[in-house]
Amino acid sequence: MLVKRSNYRLDVLAIIILLVFVALVSRLGYLQVVQGKYYGEKADGNRIRLAPIMAPRGMFYDRNGIPLVSNRPGFAVSLLPISGPVPDDIIVKVASILNITPDEIKKKLSQHSGRFEPIRIKSDIGPDIVTKIEERRAELPGVVIEIQPIRNYINNELAAHLFGYVSEINDVELEKAQEKSNEYKSGDIIGKFGLEKVYDRELRGIDGGNQVEVDVTGRPVNVLGRKETVPGKNLTLTIDYKIQKAAEVAIDEQLTYLQTKSEFRNAKAAAAIAMNPKTGEILAMVSRPTFNPNLFSGGISSKDWKALNENPNNPMNNKAISGEYPPGSTFKLVTGAAALELGKVTPEEKILDTGKHWIIAKGNAEGEALGWINFKEALTKSDNVYFYEMGNRLGIDNLEKYARMFGLGVTTGINLQGESEGLVANQRYKEKVYGEEWYLSETFDAAIGQGFQLTTPLQVAVLMSEIANGGYRYRPYLVSKISSNKGEVIKTFAPEEVGRIQLSDRTLTLIRESLRDVALEGGTAAQAFRDFPIAIAGKTGTAENSHGSDHGWFIAYGPYEDPRIVVVVIVEQGGFGAGSAAPIARKIMEAAFNLNQDPAAAQQTHKPQTAL
Amino acid sequence: MLNRRLLRNLDFVTITTTVILILISLVIIGSATHINTPGEERYWYVERQGTFALFNVIFIIILLNFDYKVLGKFANGLYGINLVMLLAVMFIGQSALGAQRWIQIGPISLQPSEFSKLIMIIALADMLDKKTGKLNSFKDLIPIFLYVGVPFLLILKQPDLGTSLVFLAILFGMLFIAGIKSKHLMVIFGAGAAFLPIFWHFLKDYQKMRLSVFMDPNVDPLGSGYHIIQSKIAIGSGMLFGKGLFGGTQSQLNFLPENHTDFIFAVIGEELGFIGAVLILLLYFILLYRGVKIAGEAKDNFGTLLATGITSMLTFHVLVNVGMTAGIMPVTGIPLPLMSYGVSALTTNMISIGILLNIYMRRQKIMF
Repeated sequence: MLVKRSNYRLDVLAIIILLVFVALVSRLGYLQVVQGKYYGEKADGNRIRLAPIMAPRGMFYDRNGIPLVSNRPGFAVSLLPISGPVPDDIIVKVASILNITPDEIKKKLSQHSGRFEPIRIKSDIGPDIVTKIEERRAELPGVVIEIQPIRNYINNELAAHLFGYVSEINDVELEKAQEKSNEYKSGDIIGKFGLEKVYDRELRGIDGGNQVEVDVTGRPVNVLGRKETVPGKNLTLTIDYKIQKAAEVAIDEQLTYLQTKSEFRNAKAAAAIAMNPKTGEILAMVSRPTFNPNLFSGGISSKDWKALNENPNNPMNNKAISGEYPPGSTFKLVTGAAALELGKVTPEEKILDTGKHWIIAKGNAEGEALGWINFKEALTKSDNVYFYEMGNRLGIDNLEKYARMFGLGVTTGINLQGESEGLVANQRYKEKVYGEEWYLSETFDAAIGQGFQLTTPLQVAVLMSEIANGGYRYRPYLVSKISSNKGEVIKTFAPEEVGRIQLSDRTLTLIRESLRDVALEGGTAAQAFRDFPIAIAGKTGTAENSHGSDHGWFIAYGPYEDPRIVVVVIVEQGGFGAGSAAPIARKIMEAAFNLNQDPAAAQQTHKPQTAL
Repeated sequence: MLNRRLLRNLDFVTITTTVILILISLVIIGSATHINTPGEERYWYVERQGTFALFNVIFIIILLNFDYKVLGKFANGLYGINLVMLLAVMFIGQSALGAQRWIQIGPISLQPSEFSKLIMIIALADMLDKKTGKLNSFKDLIPIFLYVGVPFLLILKQPDLGTSLVFLAILFGMLFIAGIKSKHLMVIFGAGAAFLPIFWHFLKDYQKMRLSVFMDPNVDPLGSGYHIIQSKIAIGSGMLFGKGLFGGTQSQLNFLPENHTDFIFAVIGEELGFIGAVLILLLYFILLYRGVKIAGEAKDNFGTLLATGITSMLTFHVLVNVGMTAGIMPVTGIPLPLMSYGVSALTTNMISIGILLNIYMRRQKIMF
């Protein structure tokens, strides 16, 4: 037999076994009962992924409901972290398929904190890449193809500077956006420029998603739940597609013409604005050179980005609102109005133009002498000597006062970012910047819109509108209404009067009549507007440019009796406004009055109820 | 030969418990190998395990015809075969998961270390039987340690740390019952603890890693720690009632690796919940308690020692395996007896239980 204590020792063995089981059951109780919920969540974290579905951005429509910006379906490659970080070999494989470096992928991965959502690596991939990934599905666990709405600018470059563009949010923008709201997250597509940026929060909508169950390779095996997307809100613009299109085509044709068939080979940049003078609605706005915002929608290639950045004429710059140019003779509206209003001259008074002013020997551009001329003749023919004398009589302070009354020297307040203020010539500025006193010759320059004077095309459009509408300054705007995707109107925008300049009827009439004669025989724009069936008012301008040929201005409104459109055109280095800018303005007006298609339709446009 | 008296003496509790555990194992292996989803060869594991279980039953019935005492006669021969097998593994064995443990014989790959546990029990029972009452000094213990030490080191060399630890469990369980002095036991444990750092030095890197991640699985969540983390998640997320058979997301979606072998208890925990897991542990407890009982009722020392060795082995397996899946034991690759897929282990365990039945059946001294 065993030693005597063996039975006692077997009891000890039984007790040890019992303790083993007590320990195991306690442990199970702790894991499954006490911490069960915690581990349940962990298990769900393993298997449940949110596959986001991006909300389509709101559409852009022109004033007549023509769609201008929409979305098209595209494919994106994303990585889904499965129970931990994405392994390096997968990153290398994906990088080679997408033809990018593994570091670019790692950078994107590092920007994401959420574990359970796919991280977009590349948007808008072609069908060839989709095929490649699907073929190698087995060796690419966690690599998913998502369907993603891609921003689609239907007419490519058309109104690119107004619409702007979208692309993925960057670190700086994300940090800034998250200070204000938690609507933004890494990987979001946001508006970066133009209306896309200004109205981003309205346009972006709310992303939805599918809650999917995935296996250990990240392959979805089941859809557990669904959160519907809320599409972004739509913008109805004040833009008239027809006028915009005509303006774009006219500018392109004119620039090509100038570059190839004239002495102005460097005429490569231009801007045009069409605006309703009675409301401030922008009907068309063009800036050249331009860009195709579709290039950004799926992530711009570095080659395209380089080309845009290296163009010396800054295609990404909306010259209609940010370009600052000497207003040239268009400023004579201000000088003339000030002189008449302050009684420095009467409409009848004649001044002798001998080709040079008698105090300072400054003359007309081509050296011509018009003899004894009154206000109307001086403005119609854009006589410099007459307006030097007006400047002489007004003094720089009055010129500055009236320029500011017309709204020059401050932003117009249009709902776009990047607007410039321009500069109104004044004594304090010169004192501050140059530390020198004011000279009379500088008053002369200021009176004809040269020297220190700087304006944006949009400011000049506002100035011309004030002449056309009798002194009301409206805030220019681009969006007339915001509506939900179901069509209910959420917000409408009404014209907003932001200033008023008191001008006597006598002054207004005289200036308007002078401007009307500009487009008639003997006026500076007679040639450009020959046989134009509708009476218009216009003014040419030439801005001196020390870096090359002069910039050509043309500003106009029409119809003369009942102005419904103001057009401002500037062609950088295009020479005289009459030759470079006026032909563009004519084509824009033809489109606005439907003259470019059907003569019968043109007749109807005289009546106010036509779409404008 | 089997007569009615012997059949009446069969331990029906052990038989029933064992049968229930094997049936449960077939269901759980089915769940772990996705028998519920279409795919070729999804029945393969269940069929193979079931087939071997049936063969083993027949084998056990045959063995029951012989008094377990004959094992004592074969003890030295078995010991020799064991050494040959373990050496064979070293030279012609197949590697898997970083360890050389298998030898291929025709269509069957065998894991000699599984059988060697039982062989060690038989050989040690025979040796201790002869030394009963003579374990008075350390000198008496040395031959025993050498006897166990040779196969122990061969297995450690494979490397199969888990099985070598099972050897220690068997050795000390049997020494304890064989009457080793408590004082000696204390000294040995004390010395063992003191030599642990040196022992650590001899571990393979992956074994060190396993022990490190046991202390903190998050040092390597996708590597060595992955098993522990996913296994704990599986068990914990089963909560009180479980996710239902075939409903364990950790197991069915393959987050849980080795779920039909070493980590099968995690599938039980996840799909059957705390209640199911505890009921299955209860079955194991009944089985092991019967093992102790059989050891106490054996007609001779050899039977007592055999039953003790078998019970020690099974207890250690249950403790280390369930403890491992629940994150309180390091990952050592020890299967759960009767439950994990693996025909070598199944055969060893079933024959072990057959030996228990044999001992109990013949507990009464034959009276003429």
